[in-house]
Amino acid sequence: MSRFPSLGRWAVVALLAWLIGYPLAVTFAAALASPAGFGAAFAEFARRADEWTALGRSLWISTATVALAAVVGVPLAFLFARAEFPGRKWLGELVALPVALPPLVGVIAFLYLWGESGVGTRLVARALGLAGAPWRLSGQGAILVVHAYSMYVYFYLFTRAALARFDGALLEAAAALGAGPVRRFFRVTLPALRPALAAAAVLTFLTALGSFSAPYLFGGSYRVMTTQILASKQNGDVDLAEVETAVLTLLAVAGLLVARRLESGAAPARQRGVPPARRASRSRLAAWALGAAGWLLALALLAPHLTLLLMSLVPRATWTTELLPPVLGLANWGQLGRGAGALVPVGNSLWMAVAATVGALVLGFVAARTAARRDRAGRAAELLIGLPWAVPATAFAVALATTWSVDRPWQGRFLLVGTAALLPLAYLIRCLPSTGRATLAGLAQLDPGLEEAARSLGASKLRTLWRVTVPVLRPALAAGAMLAFLAAFGDFVLSIVLYTFDTRPISIEILSSLRLQETGLAAVYGVILTALSAAAFLLLGRERER
Amino acid sequence: MKPRALLLTSLLSLPLAGCGGNGRTPLLVYTPHGRDLMLLFEAEFERANPSIDLRFLDMGSQEVYDRVRSEQANPQGDVWFGGPDAIFARAAAEGLLAPYRPSWADAIPKASQAEGDLYFGTFRTLPVLVYQEKLVPADQVPADWDDLFAERFRGRVLIRDPIASGVMRTLFSYQLARSLETTGGLDAGWTWLGRLDAATKEYVANPALLFEKLVRGEGVVTAWELTDILLQRAQGSPLGYRFAASGTPVIDDSIALIEGAPHRAAAVAFVEFAGSADALRLAAERAFRIPARTDLPPETLPDWARDVLARMVPADYDEGLAASKAQEWMGQWDRTVRGRGAPAGGG
Repeated sequence: MSRFPSLGRWAVVALLAWLIGYPLAVTFAAALASPAGFGAAFAEFARRADEWTALGRSLWISTATVALAAVVGVPLAFLFARAEFPGRKWLGELVALPVALPPLVGVIAFLYLWGESGVGTRLVARALGLAGAPWRLSGQGAILVVHAYSMYVYFYLFTRAALARFDGALLEAAAALGAGPVRRFFRVTLPALRPALAAAAVLTFLTALGSFSAPYLFGGSYRVMTTQILASKQNGDVDLAEVETAVLTLLAVAGLLVARRLESGAAPARQRGVPPARRASRSRLAAWALGAAGWLLALALLAPHLTLLLMSLVPRATWTTELLPPVLGLANWGQLGRGAGALVPVGNSLWMAVAATVGALVLGFVAARTAARRDRAGRAAELLIGLPWAVPATAFAVALATTWSVDRPWQGRFLLVGTAALLPLAYLIRCLPSTGRATLAGLAQLDPGLEEAARSLGASKLRTLWRVTVPVLRPALAAGAMLAFLAAFGDFVLSIVLYTFDTRPISIEILSSLRLQETGLAAVYGVILTALSAAAFLLLGRERER
Repeated sequence: MKPRALLLTSLLSLPLAGCGGNGRTPLLVYTPHGRDLMLLFEAEFERANPSIDLRFLDMGSQEVYDRVRSEQANPQGDVWFGGPDAIFARAAAEGLLAPYRPSWADAIPKASQAEGDLYFGTFRTLPVLVYQEKLVPADQVPADWDDLFAERFRGRVLIRDPIASGVMRTLFSYQLARSLETTGGLDAGWTWLGRLDAATKEYVANPALLFEKLVRGEGVVTAWELTDILLQRAQGSPLGYRFAASGTPVIDDSIALIEGAPHRAAAVAFVEFAGSADALRLAAERAFRIPARTDLPPETLPDWARDVLARMVPADYDEGLAASKAQEWMGQWDRTVRGRGAPAGGG
C-alpha cells in the first residue's frame, strides 16, 4: 500500500482532534491560566467535605443506575427475543419508547405522574384509602427510579440486537454435549452478549454521570456533581465550578478507559447465524397471560407520555387539588397559532437534528474506518470518538463557546459563537460516539472478504463502499443514526449555552414556558418533541431490524 | 423508502418557513421578564421606532449573565433587561456592561444606580409572604418573616432553591445583615436560617414548580416576589400575599447596555424607552410592575400599585453589606444549613 492511506488516516485523526480534543484543551489551558488561580480553587475543592460527598454520590448513582437498568432491560430483551406471544412485535417497539422521551420532558412528566401531587400518586393514594401521598419523589431513590426508567432501554436495545445475531446452533451444540440450561446461559449466551452488555453499561454509566435534569428536579438536598457545578456557578464561584467540571470530566474519562479494557477482553462478535426459534408458550392461556402482562407493562412504561399529553390538554390554572383535571381543552394547543413564531422552534430543532445526524453519520463512518485498524492512528481515532460521551455536556458546551468565540484562523479558531452554525455543530460532535461506535461495531462483524471480492471483480472503491459496505452496515448505521437524532433533537444542556435567536430549539421553548409558568404550553411542546422522536425511532427502527 | 423521503423533504423545508428579513435593525434583548411584559413593550417600542425590529430571548437572569459572559468576544445581545442588581454588579465588575446614562436617570434613587452608569433600576421587586388561600384560614395568614417557621406551618413550607434565586438570596442575606446590625454578630441570623430550614419541606427547583406545588397543596406558605404572585392571581391561582410587618427588603430590577452591543443606537433607544414614564405606567397597569422612578405622580399609577406603595414598609438595612457578603454567606448556607434540620429530608 502507498503512504497515502496512512496519511489520510492521520488527517482524519487530526480533524477529530481539532473538533473534539482542541476545545477541551483550550478551556483547560484557560482555567489553568486564570489569575485568581485554578490551583487555589483546586485546593478549596480538595478541602471541602461536601465536594467529596457529591463526587461519591455521582459515582454511586451512576453505578447503581447501570445495575438497575441492566436488571430491567436484559430480561425484557430476552423475553421479546425468545418468547412468542400475541402482540409481541408491537410491544417490542413500545417498551423501547422511553428512549423517545427527552430527559427534560421526561422528568417533568414523571413529576406530574409520580410526584407528591401527581395523578398516578393520587390514584394510588385513593385506591389505598390514604389521606396523603404514599411516597415523595425526592432524594436518591427518585433519581434512581427516573434513571432506571429512561436508561434501561440501552440495555434492552443492545441486548436484543445481540440476541438477533446470536447463532442458535451454538446452544444446540452445547446441549448436545450435555450442558444444562443454566450452564448454557452462563457459558454460551452470556459470553456472546458481553460486547453488547459492556457497550450498554458504558453508555448508561456515562449518561447517568452527566445526567442533570433528574438530580436537579428530584435531588433536593441530595447533590451530585452536575448539580453541584450549577450551584457553584449560581453562587458566583466560577473558579470552583471549573474545577468541579474538570474533576467530573476526569472521572468520566477514567470510566471510559476502564470500559475499553473490559470491552477489549471480549470476544469479537463476528457471528452470523440463525437465532434460536422463539418459544411459544405451551398453553394458549399462558400465551395470552404473557401478552396481557406485556400490554400492562407497556402501559406503565408509556404512562409518562400519556401524562404529558394530558397536561397539554389542561387549561391554565384549572387543575389544583382534584384527582383528575376538571377541565380539558385545546387552549394550550391553540397558542401554537399565536403569531408566526410559535412553530419556529420546531423547525429549528428538526433541521439542526437532521443536519447533525447526517454529519455525524458521515464523520462517524470515516472515523470508524480509521479506528477499525488497530494501529496508532486507529487507537487515537477510537479514543477521540468516545470522548464527547465522557465529557459532561455542560462542560463541552462551555468549551465550544470559549474556543469558537474568537477569529484566529492561524490558531485554528473561528468565530462561531452567535452564528447559526455552532449549535448544529455541537450536536454533531456530541452525537459522534453514537454513530461512530455503532459503525465500529458493524465493521467488527463485516467480513473483509466481501470487500475484497468486490474489488477483485473490478468494482471501484466508491462502488464497493456504496454497493457492499454500506448495505451490510445498514442496521448498525440506522441504530447509530437513531441514537444520534434522539440525542440532538431532545438536547437542552448544549442548547441552553449555545442557542441564538435564530436557532432557538424546542427544548429552550419548553424551558422558557416553564419559567413563565405556562405548564400547559410546555407540555404541548413536550408532546411534539416526544411524538417526533418516537416517529424517528420507529422509522429507523424498521431499518435496524433488517 | 417513500414515507422516509417525504419526511426528509418536509423536515428540510420547514426552517425556510421561519425566515425572512425585513430590512429593520434587529435589536436583541436578553430578559427574564416574561412574555406578559415583553409583548407589550415590543408592540409599543416598535410603534415608536418603526425602523427597529425588537427581538427578545427569554431566560433567567443567571443565564443572561452566563450568556453575556460567554459571548464577550463576540457580543450578540444588545440590552440586558431585568434581574436583581446583585447579578448586574457581577457582570459590571467583569466589564460586560457598557456605560450609558439615560435621560431618566435622575429620577432613580441614588442607591438604585451603579457606579459609572453601568446599570440602572427600572422596577422594584418586592419580596412578600405567600400562602395558599384555600388551605390557610384567614386568622392564620403569615404576618411576618418569622411566621414562616411558626408551628402551624411546620413541614408545609416550600422555599425556592435559594442559591439559584435572587429573591431568596436577598431575603437570606437580609436576615444575616440584620443580625449583624442588631446583635453585632451573625449567630442570630444563622439560627433564624436554621429554623427556617427545619420548617422547610422542600427546596423547589424553579418558581413555576413552586406555584404548582402550592396550588396543588403540597405546601401552604412560601416567600416570593409580588409581581409573579399578582400574575398568578390574575390567572385564578388561589395564592394570597402579605407584606412582612417588619419590613420588605426591596430589590432593584435593573437594565443595562451590553458592552460591545452590535446595535448600540437601537439599544440606547430601548433603554430610554424602558425607563420612560409611559412605559413604566404601561408596565404597572398591564403587567404588575412597580416603577423604580420616584418622580411619577401617584395618581398616574393604577390603584393596586398605589395601594402596594402605601402598605409596604421598606426594610432598613445595610444593602451594600448584604450584597457584598451574599456569595460567602450563601455558600456557607449551602454547606452548613441546607437540609440539616429538614423534617422530611428526601429518602
